[in-house]
Amino acid sequence: MDATTVLAEISGNIATVGYGLAAIGPAIGVAIVVGKTIESIARQPELAGRLTVLMYIGIAFTEALAFIGIATGFIFV
Amino acid sequence: MSSTPVFRTIVRAGLLLALAIAVVGGVVGWLVVGSTGLVGALLGAVVAAVLVTMTAASILFANRFQDTPGYVTTFFAIVLGGWVLKFVIFIVLVLTLSGQPWLDRTVFLLCIIAGVLVSLILDVVIVSRARIGNVSDVELPGQTTGRDEGNSIS
Repeated sequence: MDATTVLAEISGNIATVGYGLAAIGPAIGVAIVVGKTIESIARQPELAGRLTVLMYIGIAFTEALAFIGIATGFIFV
Repeated sequence: MSSTPVFRTIVRAGLLLALAIAVVGGVVGWLVVGSTGLVGALLGAVVAAVLVTMTAASILFANRFQDTPGYVTTFFAIVLGGWVLKFVIFIVLVLTLSGQPWLDRTVFLLCIIAGVLVSLILDVVIVSRARIGNVSDVELPGQTTGRDEGNSIS
């Protein structure tokens, strides 16, 4: 058994790692979008309606990455 | 809330999109794969409908608590809780359904991806056409109603 096998042995489906990888980016992205929206609403509460719409668009685009990442993991298994 | 008409339109458009995906994906899946492709496309359209409309629907629901003291906390609890729930539903459905012999996995997942991507286009179009006042959520002293009036989508 060489060093590479000992250090980086993986058994099972590599796509399971993909779920986690696909979740990291959108998690950070949605956190930033929501955090900035909270900041903005705290500054200007009267703009809450506009800001939630913009927040929705931000969330939609960010979460699309997660859906595609997770789904393609299953397609190419 | 001034954003309510926009989110109503987004939910409606998402449901229509899922219907279109069921029809187009069903026909293509039937022709390319057979009956398993048809089932995959129909189930994919159902899952796409849930994924596409859930965030907007959760915001619509959360806006009902606008007059409560803990509105902001409730709003983000409902919206982000719904978001997590959506992903749990998605992963559980994909894990359980993708191994079934009566369903074509590729058609199923392609229908979901198509739904998510086309919904992004629809969302951008709807939001860019929406008319939301800059200070529409201001409530003057003595004024209790009329928040949703005067906001429309062209």
